[in-house]
Amino acid sequence: MGPLLREYGIALAAAGLCTAACFAISPFTALTDLAMVYLIGTTVVALRGSWGPSVFTSLLGVLCFNFFFVPPRFTFVVEHPQYVVTFLVMFSVAMVISRLTFRVKTQSEEARRLEVSAEAERLRSSLLSAVSHELRTPLTAIIGSAGSLLHAPGPGGAHWRELLENIREEAERLARLVHNLIETTRLESGKVRLKKELCPIEDVIGTALGRLDKPLAGREVRTELPESLPLAPMDPVLMELVFVNLIENAVRHASGPFPIDISACEQGGSLEIVVADRGPGLRAEPIERIFEKFYRESGSSGGAGLGLAICKAVVEAHGGGIRAENRTGGGALFRLTLPRKDRA
Amino acid sequence: MTARPKTVLVVDDETAIRRFLRAALEESGFAVLEAFNGRMALELAAARKPDVILLDLGLPDMDGLDALKRMREWTSAPVIVVSVRSDESDKIEGLDCGADDYLSKPFGVEELLARIRVALRRAERVREDPEPVYSHEDLRVDLVGRRVWLGKKEVRLSPLQYALLSSLVRNAGRVVSQKQLLKDLWPEGSSTPEALRILVHQTRHRIERDPVRPRHLKTEPAVGYRLEALDD
Repeated sequence: MGPLLREYGIALAAAGLCTAACFAISPFTALTDLAMVYLIGTTVVALRGSWGPSVFTSLLGVLCFNFFFVPPRFTFVVEHPQYVVTFLVMFSVAMVISRLTFRVKTQSEEARRLEVSAEAERLRSSLLSAVSHELRTPLTAIIGSAGSLLHAPGPGGAHWRELLENIREEAERLARLVHNLIETTRLESGKVRLKKELCPIEDVIGTALGRLDKPLAGREVRTELPESLPLAPMDPVLMELVFVNLIENAVRHASGPFPIDISACEQGGSLEIVVADRGPGLRAEPIERIFEKFYRESGSSGGAGLGLAICKAVVEAHGGGIRAENRTGGGALFRLTLPRKDRA
Repeated sequence: MTARPKTVLVVDDETAIRRFLRAALEESGFAVLEAFNGRMALELAAARKPDVILLDLGLPDMDGLDALKRMREWTSAPVIVVSVRSDESDKIEGLDCGADDYLSKPFGVEELLARIRVALRRAERVREDPEPVYSHEDLRVDLVGRRVWLGKKEVRLSPLQYALLSSLVRNAGRVVSQKQLLKDLWPEGSSTPEALRILVHQTRHRIERDPVRPRHLKTEPAVGYRLEALDD
């Protein structure tokens, strides 16, 4: 209440000052001109931005004008009924001024706030691209250098190739993690516009599988995607990221020679896609917790807890949903739905 | 080898990246020129006439796309644009501005060398006739007889599916943008990207043993398609 009380104090002071000014100039001016002085007071208070105090100033102005200057002076009695009209006009003009001043003030504040948030957004996105560049450049150099050495005839040695492959594959894994981290930040800033195109889901899943060639080496992937599956509107780049994360998740949690199963079918107005493994399954309680950012299953190996959070964010941005369950016969199963029609 | 080694101009402001590119390229028998900014790239491209230009789009002194446009005013040497993943619009714009192909950072050495070989082969072939037969693993396309085989079995394609395949064969190993394919296959403005995606989908089901994990016809997300380079 402190600041508002202060505004009322300022309103009182404004009325007092106006009255003093009126006393000073009253010998030289017409009576009705004094009303203008009070309007100045109202404007000044309205500019400070509080509605109550500026109404209060308008009212005080009328009362002071009546009491101190309108004959008979120093009473609230009014000799000539025409002054009642003067009061009414004076009060309404004061109200109109307060209202207009108030509106201009809020609009300019709004504009300033928008400017500040646009500035923050620009800063965030330029920071993001700088961080992205700074993290990806060394990774590119590491992956490329390890690759160049693998390509060249090396000095040999039992572990030479193995270790170089290690460097390269782990740097690639780190690059995927950095990509996830950057995409999470982008999605959270709410600035991501989906570039939706009607795509065959087979194409997007295929690109994701292609991206994971190395981690998938020696692993059986069984797919069941009917050729006649209808197209669905999706951002192919972001949906690819969803499948890269789901498949990588299956590879990591179901280590061993277990196959990964991917299937899709049409369910009412949606596409339903299932990615399932035969690993140890999910222990989270409740199971939805695995979609929380930075959540990690106890005893699980690797993973920063970003992949599934991204999947959820992207699928939901498409107007779809993703659920996790334990598969009958063991393993984890992710079921995601994508609407076939754009709900604009 | 007595022939003059092919020269690659590497344009990148990061020393670590230029260093490994030089190592990988020299190891494979290329001569390497290095530029760390756009001005230097333009000077070297004009003075030394490299056979291939590897152009990173993030240059300290000018927009990489501007550098590309300026190069395209006087050189037809193949330009491979390098940019980070998730900058799909940069890649599309690069191809529109006359780049031959692109690489997404981070990239593997095999990928880099494959792109350069394809770009060089194309630059040479501009003067000669195209290879009449394309073959990659179990896929064979005879452009003269207009026939396609998968293994020993002949594949029947619709005229449009064949048009897509032959358009990709003529650009084998190189990305072809959606825009370019739409222009090649349909009269101006009479088709949509969806129709193209459906056509690719159908064609894949004819020429790939496992259409979910294609060996030949690959998608370059949000940019276009690439048919793997023909076997050496």
